[in-house]
Amino acid sequence: MVTQKPPRPWVVDTAVVIAGIGLGATIGLALIAETRSELVAAGGIAIFLGNLTAMAGTYLALVMVVLVSRIPAVERSVGQDRLVRWHRRLSPWPLSLIGAHVVLTTIGYAQADKSGALHQLGTFLSSYPDMAEAIVAFGIMVVIGVLSIRALRARLRREVWWTIHLWMYLALALAFLHEIALGPSFVGHPLARAVWIVVWLATAGLVLAYRVGLPLLRSYRHRLKVVEVRREAPGVTSIVCSGRDLDRLAVSGGQFMLWRFLARGIWWQAHPYSISALPRSPYIRLTVKEVGDHSGALAKLHPGTRVMVEGPYGAFTRHVQHHKLAALVAAGIGVTALRALLEDLPGGPGGAHPVVIVRASRPADLVFHSELATLVKHKRGELHEVVGSRDEVSFDEAALRSLVPDIAKRDLYVCGPEGFVESVVGIARRLGVAPEAVHHEAFSL
Amino acid sequence: MKIRSIKIKRAPVALVGAIAGLAGVVGFHSATRAPGLAGSPAPASGSGGGLGSKGTVSTPASGGGTNPSQGQAGGSQAGGSQAGGSQAAPQSAIGAKEQYGYGLLAVKVTVAGNRITQVSVPTIQVADSYSGSIAQQVIPMLRSQVLSLQSARINGVSGATYTSEAYAMSLQSALNKLHFK
Repeated sequence: MVTQKPPRPWVVDTAVVIAGIGLGATIGLALIAETRSELVAAGGIAIFLGNLTAMAGTYLALVMVVLVSRIPAVERSVGQDRLVRWHRRLSPWPLSLIGAHVVLTTIGYAQADKSGALHQLGTFLSSYPDMAEAIVAFGIMVVIGVLSIRALRARLRREVWWTIHLWMYLALALAFLHEIALGPSFVGHPLARAVWIVVWLATAGLVLAYRVGLPLLRSYRHRLKVVEVRREAPGVTSIVCSGRDLDRLAVSGGQFMLWRFLARGIWWQAHPYSISALPRSPYIRLTVKEVGDHSGALAKLHPGTRVMVEGPYGAFTRHVQHHKLAALVAAGIGVTALRALLEDLPGGPGGAHPVVIVRASRPADLVFHSELATLVKHKRGELHEVVGSRDEVSFDEAALRSLVPDIAKRDLYVCGPEGFVESVVGIARRLGVAPEAVHHEAFSL
Repeated sequence: MKIRSIKIKRAPVALVGAIAGLAGVVGFHSATRAPGLAGSPAPASGSGGGLGSKGTVSTPASGGGTNPSQGQAGGSQAGGSQAGGSQAAPQSAIGAKEQYGYGLLAVKVTVAGNRITQVSVPTIQVADSYSGSIAQQVIPMLRSQVLSLQSARINGVSGATYTSEAYAMSLQSALNKLHFK
C-alpha cells in the first residue's frame, strides 16, 4: 500500500498568513478607491461603506470557498471536520457584509441621485451593467443563508440542503460580473482588477480540480464495484468493494471518503463514510450506520453496483501522533474510523500499545468485537468495552483515568458523535493531556 | 477544544498579515499615484444600458449659468487676454467624443498660457433621464476639479465612474490638441 504523505503543519500557518494579507489588501483596495472629493459628495459616505463591505464580504466568501476546496495538503494537515467548522463559523460574516453592501450602496446612489431607494433599485436593474445578475446572486445568497440557520437546516434532508448549497457557486459567479464592471476598486484600477480576476479564476480552478477532476480521475482509475454487503449489527452495514490498483490509493486508517453508489435513487448523492479497514488490494471496506434514507438504502445494494469516490480526507491518522503511546476512544459508529486507525498504528515493542475504549449503549451495538480484540492483541494493547446507557454508565474523568492511568503520556484519539467528542476532549484537558496530543473526528449526523 | 487553542495562536498571525496587506496596497497606491483616471483604459462601452434606441436626450450641460465653481474662470473663450494676465491668447479645443456606459460626451477646454481657464461640455447625449440627472450633477464637480488641479488627472466622482472617465479622456484629447503640458 502506498502510504500517505504526512501532514505539513506549516501549510496551515502559511495559509493563515496569506489569508490575512489578502484581507488587508482587499480592504486597502476599498480605501484607495475613494478620494476626499468623492466622500464629501452626496451619498459619498454610504457609497464608500457599501464598497468596503462588498470587498470585505466577497473576500471572506472567497476564503470560505477555499476552505472547502479540498486541497489535499490542507485536508491532510487540518482535517475536513475542522475545515468545515471554520467554514461554518465564518459564514455569517460574508453574508451580513454583502447584505450591508446592498443596503448601503442603494442608499448612497439614491442620495447621489436624490431619489428613493426603491426607485434606485429599479435604476440599477434598468441602466447598470450586470446588475440583474448581481441581484439574482444576492437572492440566492439570502435563501442559502436563511436555510443554513440551524433550526431550519435541521428540518431539511442533508442531500437537499447540500444541493441547494451548491448554488452558492452560481451566485458567486453571477456576482463577480458586477464587481468587475462597476466596483470602484476595479474600474480604473487595471492592476487591482487583474489580480481580482486571477485570484477568483485560481479559486475556481482549485474547486474544479479537487472537487470534480481528481474524484473523477480516481473513480475511473480504481473502478470500484460492490462485492459484498454484510450486516454487522442492528442498523450497521459493512460494504466491501473491489477495484483496480487499490494498493496505489494513498489512504491512512481513520480517514473517510465520499462515496457515491451508482444505484437507482441514490446515484446523485455522495456521502462521507469512514473506511473501516485498510484496503487490502483488491478490496476496500466501509461501514455505515442507518440514520437516513441514504445509509438505509445502502443495506439493499446489489453486488456489482458501481461506486465513485472522492477523497480520502481527514487528519484523524497516525501521522499526527506526538507520543509513542496512544489511547483510542470511540462511541457509536465512530468505531469504524477507530478500527482502521488501530490497524494503521505502529505495533511491536516500542509501538503505540494502544488502549482502546469503545462506548455503546447496548451490547448488540458493539461492532467489530472480534476484529478489535485481534488487532489489540497484535498491537500489544488493551481493549475496554463500556456498555450501558449514558445514565447507567457515565464516561467521566474518573472512568478515563482508571482505564488509562498514563493518559498524559499518550496521544488521545476520539471519534464519535459531536457531543461525545466534545465531552471526552474536555475530560482529557482536565486530565492534563496536551492539546496537540488530542485528535478528534466528530460525526454530525 | 483544540480548535479554540489554534484560533488564539493564529488570530494574531492573521491580523499581522492583514495589516501588512493593507499597508502594502495603500503604500503601493501612493507610490504609483500619478496615473489617475486619464491613464486608465476606456470602460467597455456597449455593456449594459448603453446608447440604446431609447430617446436620446441632448443636454447642453455646463457652460453658462449654474456653475458653482469659484472665480478666475474667465468666461470669454475667444476674447482678449484679460484672464490670467498671460501673454498668449486663449485657445480652445474640443476633445474626442467619448462613449461611456450610459452615453456619449465631448469636453471643450480653453487654455490661456499654461492655465486651463475654462472647461465645458458642448456635447452630451445620455440614454435615460437618470443618467442625465447624474451627468447634470457630476459635470460641475468634474469641472471644478479640473480648474483646481489644472490637469485631466482628476479624481472623478464616486458613483459616476464611467462619466468621470469619459470626461477625463475627452478632456485629455482636447488638451493634447492644444499641446498643453
